[in-house]
Formats: sequence, C-alpha cells, structure tokens
Amino acid sequence: MTPRDLFCTIAMLLGATTALAQEPLRVVTPFEIASLEPSRGGFNFTRMEVAETLVGADDEGRAVPGLSTAWTLSDDRLTWRFTLRARAKFHDDTPVTAEIVAQCLERARSQPGPLKDAPLTEIRAVAPDVVEIATSTPFMPLPAFLAESSSQILAPSSYDETGAVRRIIGSGPYRITSLEPPLRFEVERFEGWTGGAKPAIERAIYQAVGRKETRALMAESGQADLAFTLDPAGTDRLRRAAGVAVTTKSIPRVITLKLNAHLPAFADVRVRRAVSLALDREGIASAILRSPEAAATQFFPPTMVGWHVPGLAPLRHDPAEARRLLAEAGWAPDAQGQLVKDGKPLHATLRSYAVRPELPVVAAAIQAAERDIGIDLDIAMMNSSDIPAGHRDGTLEMGLIARNFSLVPDPIGTMLADFGPHGGDWGAMGWASPQLTETLQALQETDAAQTRAALRGRVSEILQTELPVIPVAWYELRVAASKRLDGVSIDPFELSYRISRMRWAD
Amino acid sequence: MRRASAFIEDKRSRGVWLGGALVALVVLTALVGPVVVTADPNRQDLLHVLAAPSREALLGTDHLGRSVLARLVHAARLSLSLGAMAVATAALPGIGLGLATAFAGGWTDRLLTSLADAILAVPGLILVLLIAALSPGAFWPLFLGLSLTQWVEWFRMTRAASRSALASPAVEAARLLGFSPWHILRRHVFPDLLPLFGTLGAFGLGSAVLALGALGFIGFGLRPPTPEWGLMMVEMLPYWNEAPLALLMPPVCLLTLILGLQILARR
Amino acid sequence: MGRLAAVLGQRLVQAVTVAVVVSLLSFALVQLLPGDQALLIAQRRYGDDRVTTAAAEAVRAELGLDRPLALQLAEWIGQTVSGDLGRSLLSGAPVWEEIRDQLGATLTLAGAALGLALLLGPVFGGLAGLRPGGLADRTGMAAAAAFRAVPSFVLGLVLMVGCTVLFGWLPVGDSSDGLSLLLPALTLGLGLAATSARIARDGVVATLRSPFFAFARLKGLSRTAAILRHVPRNAAVPLIAYLAVSFAFLIEGVVVVEQIFAWPGIGHALTHAIEGRDVPMIQATALTLSLFLVLLNALTDLALLLVDPRRRG
Repeated sequence: MTPRDLFCTIAMLLGATTALAQEPLRVVTPFEIASLEPSRGGFNFTRMEVAETLVGADDEGRAVPGLSTAWTLSDDRLTWRFTLRARAKFHDDTPVTAEIVAQCLERARSQPGPLKDAPLTEIRAVAPDVVEIATSTPFMPLPAFLAESSSQILAPSSYDETGAVRRIIGSGPYRITSLEPPLRFEVERFEGWTGGAKPAIERAIYQAVGRKETRALMAESGQADLAFTLDPAGTDRLRRAAGVAVTTKSIPRVITLKLNAHLPAFADVRVRRAVSLALDREGIASAILRSPEAAATQFFPPTMVGWHVPGLAPLRHDPAEARRLLAEAGWAPDAQGQLVKDGKPLHATLRSYAVRPELPVVAAAIQAAERDIGIDLDIAMMNSSDIPAGHRDGTLEMGLIARNFSLVPDPIGTMLADFGPHGGDWGAMGWASPQLTETLQALQETDAAQTRAALRGRVSEILQTELPVIPVAWYELRVAASKRLDGVSIDPFELSYRISRMRWAD
Repeated sequence: MRRASAFIEDKRSRGVWLGGALVALVVLTALVGPVVVTADPNRQDLLHVLAAPSREALLGTDHLGRSVLARLVHAARLSLSLGAMAVATAALPGIGLGLATAFAGGWTDRLLTSLADAILAVPGLILVLLIAALSPGAFWPLFLGLSLTQWVEWFRMTRAASRSALASPAVEAARLLGFSPWHILRRHVFPDLLPLFGTLGAFGLGSAVLALGALGFIGFGLRPPTPEWGLMMVEMLPYWNEAPLALLMPPVCLLTLILGLQILARR
Repeated sequence: MGRLAAVLGQRLVQAVTVAVVVSLLSFALVQLLPGDQALLIAQRRYGDDRVTTAAAEAVRAELGLDRPLALQLAEWIGQTVSGDLGRSLLSGAPVWEEIRDQLGATLTLAGAALGLALLLGPVFGGLAGLRPGGLADRTGMAAAAAFRAVPSFVLGLVLMVGCTVLFGWLPVGDSSDGLSLLLPALTLGLGLAATSARIARDGVVATLRSPFFAFARLKGLSRTAAILRHVPRNAAVPLIAYLAVSFAFLIEGVVVVEQIFAWPGIGHALTHAIEGRDVPMIQATALTLSLFLVLLNALTDLALLLVDPRRRG
C-alpha cells in the first residue's frame, strides 16, 4: 500500500470522498472567479464550456459555429443574420430563443467591453431562432466580437431581481453542479446539449490557484490534470516528471515598450529605433523567458497568420547602429556616457506592473541595455491601471506591457483600440499615421481574403518602420497535461480549455 | 545578581558565548560584509543566471545573474536596520506609556489600558495592509503599520512587569526615603525589565524581517531590486528547484540571529 | 457572577467603540490611498487587458464615485445600521455572502492550526520543562527559533515539495476534501506549536520551582502526583492567554498561507479588496473581523476565569 493509497483510505473512512463512476478532470489556472458578470469573470464559464457564445474561432482565428450554426451577411454588408442551433436549450431545460440572445447581447453592449465600441445600431430577434444585427458601417470582424466571452448567452433565470447575475445557467456541453467563487466550481456533462458529439469527460473541477509554484507542483503530483500558465522554471522541472506532458503554444500576446511620442526625444523615429536596437531580444528571450524563439523580430508572432510577415527585415540588436542614430538625432554623450541634447539628459521613467512576473525582470534587463547606449531609465513598478492612467494624464514616459491582441479572436479589435487616430490607452501615444488608420479602416470593411492578407501585411510594415510601440518578446502559453488524458489541444485565443474534446486514456 | 551569576556558572557562560558568537556573526556580516564583498549587488549578467557557486560568486547567482553573496550581505545591513527600526518604533512608545501608566496608576492607567485593548481589537492585518498601500514601496508606511500593531505588546508587558517591580518592598522604601521617580526607575525597575526587553526585541526583530517579507510576497512590501532578506526569498521562490541555496540563505541568516538572541535572552 | 457580568459588559462597550472607530478609520484610510479609484476598480473587474480610461469612466458613473465623500460615508453608515452591508464593487455580489464564506474558510484554517498547537505544544513543552537544559529542551528551543526564521511561504513550499517528492501526492486546492486542510494548517500551526511549547515549558519550570510545589512534595505527594496535580492548571494560564492573542494573529497570518495553498479565505479577499479599492468590502471585512476579535477576547476572559480561581475575586 503506497502512502497515497493509505491517505485515500483514511479519507474514505472519514467520509471525505465518495466512490464515483468516473474521476473528474481537474483544471487548474491562475484565474479567479472574480465575478459572475459576463463582462468581468465570464471568461471562466466560456472556457469551461458552461456558457456559449454565438460563434467560436479556430486556431487561425476564423469564425466557427457556436450557439449559432449559420450566418449570412446582406449585400450592403450592413445586416447580419445569425440562425440559432436547432433544439438548443439552457441547463434549466428552457429553450434558447432569439429574444433571449438579443437581450444578452444588448446587455453586453451596455457594459465596458469590446462590443461597446463596435459600430452596432440594432440587435433584434426577427424569428424565434434568428437574430439580426445591424451595423452603421460594414464591420467584417463582427463574428470575432461575438466570440468573446462578454457576449456569452445566459438564460433569464441567471439574473436576480436587480438584474445582477447570480447563477450561470448556460447552454454549453457542461453545466455547473457547485459554484464556490472566488476559487472553484464543478461541472458535469449536460445531457441535453445539441451542439455536437457527446463529450467523453463526464465531470470536471475548475480550481483557481494564484501561485505558479503551487500549480506546477499540483501538476507534478497528479493533483491537477490540466495546469495552465506555468512559468519557465516550473516547466523545466515538469518536463522531467513522469506522467505529465508539457505543451507550449505561442499566443497572440506581445511584450511591448509603449513610448510617449509627445516627448521631444521619442517623437524622433531615430531615437525610437535606437531604443529598439539597444535591446538584446535573444538574450532576454533565452535567459528570462527561456525560449529563444520568443524574441520578437517583428510586431506579431508567426502564429498570427497574415499579420506576421515572413519577409520583413527583422528587428536587430546593434548598439553601434543605435549610437550612430542617436548622434544623428543630435544626442551626444557627456563625460559619464549619458546622452545629452541642448543641456537636457535623455532620461525616462519606465512604468511596468508585477502581475505578470516576467515584466519586472524584463524591465530590469531593458534598463541595463539602454544604459549601455547612454539612455537613463528609472523603473517604477506600479499597478497595471497606471498605464492607462498615465496615458490619459500624459505622465507616462515609457511603459513595459504585455498586450493581448486576441481580446476578440481577430486582432483587428485590439489594433483599432490601440492604433486609432488618437492612439490608445495600451497602444500608441502621441503618434498617429493616416496610412495606418486607412489600412485598419479598409480591413474592417473588406472580406476578400487576398485584400485582407495584403492589408494586414501593410499594418506590420508600418509598425516595423515607425516603431510607435516597440515589440520585445512574444508570449508562450505553457500547459501541463496529465498523460492519462488524450486529445489535449490548446486554444491560442484562450476561448476554451477544450475539455469536451478530451477523453481519459484508459 | 542574576546576570552576574550567569557568568559564574560554567554552563550558562557557555550559552552566553555561543549566543553572543551567533549574533556577532550576523551583525559583523552586516557591518563588514559589504566592504569585503565588493561585487555590486544590483549588477546583472543575463548570460549567467542561476549559476552554481563559483569563484566569482561564492554562493552562485540569482535569476538575473546577480551575485547571491553580494546581495545577502547588503541585505543583511538593510534587513537588520529595518528590523531594528521597526522594533524601536514599536518599543519606544510601548515602554514609555507602559512605565507612565505603572507609575501614575488611576484613571491614566485605565484610559491607556482600555485604549490598548481597543487597538488590539482592531484587526492589525487591515491596518498594516491599508497603511502599506498608502505609499507603495516606501519604508515609512511599513514602519508605521508594524509599529501600530506591535507597540501594544510592549506596552502591556512593560506595564505588567514594572507594576510588580514597583510593588516590591525596596521600591516602597525608596519612595519613603524621598528618592526621585527617575532614581527608582533606574535603580529598581529597569534592571528587572531588561531581560524582558531582550526577549521581546529578539522576537520582534525576527518578526519584523519576516513581516516585511510576507508583505513583499503579497505585493504590499518593498520593491525590487532592493536587496533585503524578505524580498530575496520572495524573488527566489519560483526558482526553488534550480537555486535552492539562494532561497535558503536568508532564512539561515535569520535563524542564526534569532537562535543567538534567544540563547542570550534565556534566563 | 458579578465579575462575569462586569467582564462581559466591558467587552460590549468595547465592541461598540471598536466598531465605530474601525469603520471611520477604514473609510478614511481608503480615501487616502493613492490612485484613481475608478481605474483600480476597472482593472480588478475587467482585467489588465481591458482596463481603459473608458471602462473607468463607466465604473465612475455606475458607482457614483464622484459624489461628495460625506454623502458616500453617510450612505454607508445608514445602510450598515439597517443591517445591509451593500454589494461588492468588484464582484457585484452581496458583501455579507462573500464575508460569510470567506471568514468561515479562514476560521476553519486558523482553528485547525490552533488545534495543532494545542495538541503539540503542551506535550513537547511539558517534556522540555520537566528537564530544563535537557535534550528535549534544547531541541525545542532550536525548533522554535527555526520556525521563527522561516517565512510561511518558504515553509509552505517545503511542505508541498516534500509531499510531492516523498508521496507523489499533494492534497491542495480541494476545499471539499478535508485533507486539503492538512498542509496549510501545518504551515500555520508548526510555528505556533513551537512557541506555545516554549511557553508551556516556562510554565512548567516556574511551577516546579514554586513554593506550593515544594510544599506539595513536603506533604508527602510523590513527584508524579504533585506534577499531575499542580502543573497543568498553572501552566495553562499563560498558554491560554498566549493562544488567544495568537489566534488573532493567526487570522491575520493566513494571508500568505491562503495564497500559497489557494485557500478561499478572508486574507485573500482583503488583499484583493484593497488593491481594487472595494470600499464596501474593506469596511465590512474590517467591521466583521474587529467584532470577531472582541468576541474572542471575551471568550478568553471567560476561559481564564474558569481556569484561574484568583481572577474571580
């Protein structure tokens, strides 16, 4: 009898566990159930496939059927019609109707979130199973916006009398059996789901665990069957553990340096290029992120097909060239090697935040690299909300951030917010390009595949030459899965943990 | 008398020597360490991160390639002074008010005692977290928070101990002879209180350093790259598997210090 | 009995005073905290990726954060007096429900740690105290120092790694399972057990040296009988006083342990509330915790009255 058996026997004698037909699948992530409100903590329930959105997205970001199985676009490209899945019903056995869907989408639109900024004019039910959405201008990325978790569809019984969400009654393949926010909920297979083949996993437990060390140890000991968002140090140990398979997947999240181009120094593209040339991206990627492929040679990672341009001249590490550019821009080193122009030193405060543990470390590496070419940086570790706050009041000089380009599974959503004519809280600051604005506008309106590819490439080229925001490294999602699980796959857009596609190996 | 006998009795004097040596070791590290270990504690070397001990870095390097030894000795200086400051900010008001109430008695005593009771009922956690959040990463809110929660302990212990000292026949005699309160304090009360202060101080110092680390752990404490023992442990925690030495050195230093102080303070 | 009533009456007065002071203090401190409240709430609500100035403006309008402070305070007092603690600004759920669940989790954890200390402390302390300077005494002292030197986040990690490597098993993050209480309770309780063993030891030593113990021996009681008769009662008084104070510290010490072991307790909730400037949640937590501490003090008074006849006066 192993110690584990012994403990389990004791536990059973104590009545702490009960015998069950099939073991539950245990999912461990750092994300707490901060709220049941779709726009706040709703992603937990779409990822666990409790709540559904009208459409989903495949690994390339293309729209795939969700709660809606088919959709059409009018000839003027202003009116969309989404047909709901036949016999779709909520977990309380009430039918999913177009009326309910329209109400949920209206609610999502009234809350902060991607849908709020989309050019929608009307959402209405035109038949019991058809929802019509009208836009003021052609808006091709609409399906991607509807795939985002705040657009999830909940049954009317989910709300209390004040209109707040108190239960999650969704329509997905799993239904909630116990809900214990902020850290845990349990689900079981919903037998009335009509969206596809019956999932093989019958029960699952979602557990939020804040510390990455704990998550890694839970995966190693078999206490977690799927552990998300592991750090490089923890993954190296897990790779050697028996019974655990580690998968890494490049996701559309990029560590970038946001520059305030209102400042005279950073208004000069030569200085921005010099800042970029000073960075040893490969060093940062291999020493800190432990993945040499994570070094950003351009804005978008290769997984973002179309946006990533294979032929683009890569961003380089070349301090000599950086010094040459700075000299050309009029910055000369003083006795201590610190760059000065018109009596003013080249100095900036770099704001970052510690929620993402690699950011402080990358910030320290950037500070050392820039000091080498004579740019003096102070690091201020703050709350992530200090980035938009500093953008708004103009006090932000430089920010090191991890920007997610898949808030909706089409990066255009984030690009519009970040690189519009007035910049964006998490994007350009004091920099705008009419060409970029035009290109993004065109991308919104066209649906011809060829034109779209060309336009996306254009966006990347403009960003590469102008560097209003400097990419540093691409993100990788590290996941540990038990070898007892078959059919594990990782969604680069983090829309779903895909447990309905998995099964137990034995 | 008691202290004198400690030196006479062989077994006890051995304890004093051992305790003294342990404390001196840590204090010397803090005082002399930064002079002897010349490496810059903040100098990064991304090509040699989490390296094993070598001639350049006797205790290896941390996740940014900084010398663990250099950080450890610099941190010793900061942690000890931070801990001592925290103890002092808690001890001074605590001792002062404790003595005052013991002397004055009456309504002063009742007022201050119930105030201390009331403060003890205010959740210290909330106080420390709120105050630490006032000015993130700064020293003063940490001191203020720790002091506000810890002075009550000093106050209560001082009051209790000095009351029993004041009740002794010797003090009564001194009062009758017309000696000043200051004289009574110096000759009769302080000698009795010193061992107590030693114990409270030893534990207070350890708790203060750990409290700083705990605050850092939950994101309310000092900010990197400050070399400080608590923060070093927090920073090295993710690398426990690859650089256990770097993670365990600060607790070892702290253990040496606390063990030494505890042996010294033992009656 | 008169003494009993006096003690309880005093604690009742204290409860009211503390409630008022804590409410006003926490309100004032929250207002002093740096940063734009609306932005911080938006960040906690919608996450790092979506916190924008637009979201912050929506939050400001929804919650009426630009109303005068006095008005906000008056509203909160009115609500609280009528028994309504309001809703969390972050989750939107009633504050009372959140506190009820989280305080329960924390009390379970702190109670388990205290139980551990009560179980181990007197046993090891007694062993050490019966032979001062002996092996048990020295080991006990080293252990107490060690647990004071190792922060709980390191101790917790060591326990988890030990469990994983030795048993290939880790009872963490499964609050429906009683076993998951084991490691966090050990992390919290070991240090407490070591210190309470020291206190028990000192109590035993003091009793053994006391005149009444010598008298009991003179009366002709055997050493064992004298020990059994006098030591537990006398050593218990400082131990109860210490454990009562530590229980308060335990509830507070749980923050770190809760984070490592993913335990859904009050410390965890409080750090989130402070970071997200969730005023109703902070105030209600402060109020509940302080009233709980007063209750705890009252219970300690009662326990000491029962154990120690001298206090009954």
